Amino acid sequence: MTEFSHDVLLDEPAYVPPARKADWLMRIGVTIVTLVCFLALFGPYIGPYDPTRTTIRIAEPPPGLTEIPGLMAGWIGGTLDHPPHWMGTDANGYDIFSRVIAAPRTDLKIALLANLLSLTVGVFFGLVAGYWRNWGTELLVRVSDVVQSFPVFILAMVLVALAGRSATNIIIALAFVYTPIYLRLTRAEVLSQTSRGFVEAARAMGNSELSIALRHVLPNSLTPALIQSSVTIGFAILLTAGLSFVGAGVRPPTPEWGLMISTGANQIVLGEWWPSVFPGLAISLTVFGFAVLGNALERRYEKG
Amino acid sequence: MKKAEPLLKVRDLRVGYEVPGDLVVPVEGVSFDLNPHEVVGLVGDAGSGKSTTALALMGLARPPGKILGGTAMFDGRDLLSLPDDEIRAIRGRDIGIIVQNPRAALNPMLRVGRQIGYAYRAHNRVSEAEARKQAVEMLRLVGINDPERRVEAYAHELSGGMAQRALIAMALSSTPKLLIADEPTSGLDVTIQAQFLDEMWNTVQKTGSAMLLVTQELGVIANFCDRVLVLHQGRIVEDAPVRQFFSDPQHPYSQEVLRFYHERSDGFPEQVSGGAGFLRTEQLTKHFPLRNSDKVVQAVDKVTISVAKGEAVGLVGESGSGKTTVGRCLMRLEHPTAGAVVLDGQDITALNAAEMRKMRSRMQIVFQDPFDSVNPRWTVADILDEPLRVHEGGDKAKRRSRAIAALEQVNLDPSLMQAKPRDLGASTLQRINIARALICNPEFVVLDEPTSVLAPRARNSLIALLARLQKELGISYLFISHDLTTVRYLCQRVAVMYLGQIVEEGTVEQVFSAPQHPYSQALLSAHLMPDPTRRRVDHPVPAALDGEIPSPIDVPKGCYLASRCRHVTETCRANPQVLSELGDGRTVRCERVVKGEITPEDFADA
Amino acid sequence: MLLRYITRRMLIGVVQLFCLVIAVFFLIRLLPADPVSRLVGLNSSEEAYAQAAAQLGLDRPLFEQLGIYLGLYPEIAPGLLQGSLGVSWATGSTVGSEIATFLPVTLQLITLAFFLAFAVSIPVGMLGALNPGKAADKGVFVYSLFAGSQPEFWWGLLFVYVFYFQLGVAPAPLGQLSPMTFPPEPVTGFMLIDTLIAGEPAKFVEALHHLMMPVITLAFILSGPIIKMVRQNMVRALQSDFVLYANLVGLPRKRVARYALRAAMGPSMTLIGILYGFMLSGAVLVESVFSLGGIGQYAIRSVLAFDYPAIQGVVLVITAISLVVYLLLDLIHAAIDPRIAY
Repeated sequence: MTEFSHDVLLDEPAYVPPARKADWLMRIGVTIVTLVCFLALFGPYIGPYDPTRTTIRIAEPPPGLTEIPGLMAGWIGGTLDHPPHWMGTDANGYDIFSRVIAAPRTDLKIALLANLLSLTVGVFFGLVAGYWRNWGTELLVRVSDVVQSFPVFILAMVLVALAGRSATNIIIALAFVYTPIYLRLTRAEVLSQTSRGFVEAARAMGNSELSIALRHVLPNSLTPALIQSSVTIGFAILLTAGLSFVGAGVRPPTPEWGLMISTGANQIVLGEWWPSVFPGLAISLTVFGFAVLGNALERRYEKG
Repeated sequence: MKKAEPLLKVRDLRVGYEVPGDLVVPVEGVSFDLNPHEVVGLVGDAGSGKSTTALALMGLARPPGKILGGTAMFDGRDLLSLPDDEIRAIRGRDIGIIVQNPRAALNPMLRVGRQIGYAYRAHNRVSEAEARKQAVEMLRLVGINDPERRVEAYAHELSGGMAQRALIAMALSSTPKLLIADEPTSGLDVTIQAQFLDEMWNTVQKTGSAMLLVTQELGVIANFCDRVLVLHQGRIVEDAPVRQFFSDPQHPYSQEVLRFYHERSDGFPEQVSGGAGFLRTEQLTKHFPLRNSDKVVQAVDKVTISVAKGEAVGLVGESGSGKTTVGRCLMRLEHPTAGAVVLDGQDITALNAAEMRKMRSRMQIVFQDPFDSVNPRWTVADILDEPLRVHEGGDKAKRRSRAIAALEQVNLDPSLMQAKPRDLGASTLQRINIARALICNPEFVVLDEPTSVLAPRARNSLIALLARLQKELGISYLFISHDLTTVRYLCQRVAVMYLGQIVEEGTVEQVFSAPQHPYSQALLSAHLMPDPTRRRVDHPVPAALDGEIPSPIDVPKGCYLASRCRHVTETCRANPQVLSELGDGRTVRCERVVKGEITPEDFADA
Repeated sequence: MLLRYITRRMLIGVVQLFCLVIAVFFLIRLLPADPVSRLVGLNSSEEAYAQAAAQLGLDRPLFEQLGIYLGLYPEIAPGLLQGSLGVSWATGSTVGSEIATFLPVTLQLITLAFFLAFAVSIPVGMLGALNPGKAADKGVFVYSLFAGSQPEFWWGLLFVYVFYFQLGVAPAPLGQLSPMTFPPEPVTGFMLIDTLIAGEPAKFVEALHHLMMPVITLAFILSGPIIKMVRQNMVRALQSDFVLYANLVGLPRKRVARYALRAAMGPSMTLIGILYGFMLSGAVLVESVFSLGGIGQYAIRSVLAFDYPAIQGVVLVITAISLVVYLLLDLIHAAIDPRIAY
């Protein structure tokens, strides 16, 4: 038998692409999300008015663009008798600006908690249903499919309206409608990871099934669910606002974007645009920010 | 052989793609000529730019790649600078191409005949009916049985070899002057590969086309090509007639590639004595139930093998022969339907979960795909630590030094400990997999095609490493492979599997020099030896098999090989065959061999 | 083969529907809402309360209520087995007839929005897919992300403000026809068809005019995910091996484009199924902005009134439609792609 005198490594050095910079779109997403998180923490305290108290000025339009510098100077100089209503007031006399920046406290809290809850529950059951396949977990998946096939908004509306219109109930209802998404995503990823060689290798090494599921399969199956959560947070904000809009969400005077749009909706045909437009703009940008962030994460993950 | 005017003249071809802030040029200045009626091999490692070059000759690059420069003169025109309409007219009419992964290259939603018809009608003014007739004719020409029926098939209904034939039929339908074949046999089994290359070579001879055969298998080059081009790091580093290339390679890279074949001695690995049956299976059987059906897939059918202490036994066979399932049953990654697996006197199929986990430190497995076999999020240190943590526990620092020793054992640098799998190449990772398998000092290791995804050069050095480790550590191997050359180098004994059964078993010398069973004979004769002095195309090939491997769901009643065997008789078709011992210690599953009715052909120097 | 597949799917669908009916039945009775006091008022006498409860059948045991709903006691009231969805607590008319009035409005809205969205999205998505990395592609991409993440009810209001209040080109958001117009005899329930049947082209135009903005609003939101889907599937198809090979054998460009388009259509079918749920949710909000009076608004009204039979009816009908939609999409997918077997 001939021996080889030489033993050289023959892998060509892998090409390492230069570190990719975050693109401008992602930067927009990060900026918006950061701002909204900041407002969720401090928004209710930094507005010029108490967001849950009416003023005597009813349906006052926002200042025109040309008036802003003067108002700014007067406000800083302390010569005004009351702080300016930067976005006007609504039909009840609430200061819209204070309410718009206070609302993330409600909207983001609901969206984040609902997501955390559904993510945890969905990932757990997704792992169980994907790794231990039997009739019980199959049934679980079927049930979750039926829930998922039903229009999310109508389901959430039924749950919240009948359970009582509170933030807690909205969180639970949203968590309920979003859990199947995470369950399905995680299960699909678990199924594909389970057939991979390193899981077999771990088994051949003598790991217990539980240890394989937790140490090998779970960490490698989380990514899709985590990416999805950025998108789902955005959609949860939309849903919360939509529920308020149809009268099945949080109760007034809670500062909440959808509720504010709904309050202004009747006036818009009369030309009073500001009570609805500003909160809507806030939703529009916020959800877009989360969507952009989710998409950027997705692309980053795909490219490795 | 050279003629005055080459058919194709490529000069300074450059193909590259942009990444943010950088330009990568995998093909940077390729130049060569191609003469009419000539068969030229283009050889190089994976990633050397072979396929990119082949595509560029058609004026295309896979996005995001771009052709950056150079000329390819064909019939007085530069293929690289022609306007879209004109190059489209040349593609398929003057230059045909077939690619690897043929099933993906066929449109999954159209019947094969229609696709061939479209390709034919793109270059010939004919009616649909005539195009269909041509499609049938072409399928017949490339050796497809029953072409009238096959034109109605969809790509997913064809086997890999069949789909590759359909591609050839499409590529040659307009009788081009040049056929480019880009690794046409990369996914095919050994017997199918030989069958296919023979057909392709014959077809090209009939149509009078020249051929550029892109491959990384030296066996393919030696048997079918007149001339060799060696592509290395984006350039042609050697251009030589095939005999001269094998006898006297000039470039250091070519020499390196050929070294394995030159260093191989004529001897066979010496037999080991003692410890017989250290690991053995008894009538091991594995059936997989089919969904929505009461039928089963007979993956493994009453396989009995035995591996002595310190012995390497090869298990060879084509895909679908059940050899991987045998390996998985040995490791109890799959629970056998019937039969026993005995390691050192203990039936491991009877162990409970806890006992089995303990037993796993004595037996290990190395899988085919090195990237897939390691947790992508872990570092090399984590990966090597895992078996120690499971089986030995104890001091962390001690385990770390064991891991470093294991790395050194497979000739890897300890600095790799903090690397992650994605930073490493295939052959490095496969060594880490081997190190992981050996770290708890197992007595028996299943090697499940550990070299099949590696480039030929890396394959050779890994086999050498495995041979050295076995000698040093005295481990027993079950080496599962379809690559006969590596089996011959590494193993003392070999078992040939076909459709879940062992058809022949004996020492490597016995089986390789004088195979008895018709299937072993076919397998060996289909093996393409990298030796241009005994080219397959120069003399009639014995012992070829017809057709394809039958489905393991509806296995034949009698001999499983009956549908493909040249020696078949009515009794073969009717009677199941049994393994019988021949005088010299080997076993064969063929009653005609046992009766002496089939004489082995001469494979002495295979 | 095909027929057997369809029958099997239908049977599974019926089982699913049955399970869903039972689940919803118990779910809404489990939640702490009190439909009786919603009906008679919070400070009504105990007697009046009990009388109302008896009238709604809420004094009977839960399983008897279920039995009545399913139609096991036709002598008390007709149920599902008799083809009845029950009687609305809020209005006193049958849920079936109410849904029959409201459902066509919604179907009309989402069908039009769906086709408008596709008509716009396919060329736009192709534009992106055919120019990868260029400005047009980036623009298309950002647009699709933006449109897909917008509050439809707010955009509806915005359109009302701009096109009705400021520009005056759109009608007031007060229904399918102007309140002054006498609606045509309902035959199919679809306003556009009914006006034509009644032979009143002026009212047809008016109905179309009123539908314009809700349809545009919904189509705008829908265009986001559709463009994203078209672009993604098209890019994937264009990069596939068989499209590359079609180019390699010199097929004409038109033929290659057809290969790619067909390949992109298959996977789109599954996503359209998901869009259906997305659309229905959107329709609920858009209907309520424009007071169209569709099934979405009916759902809102029933939910807020704790009108259990109506809620159950809406859930049942929406799910039944979605099952049929999924089945149709699967059949189309199989027709496009021979690899899909029943």
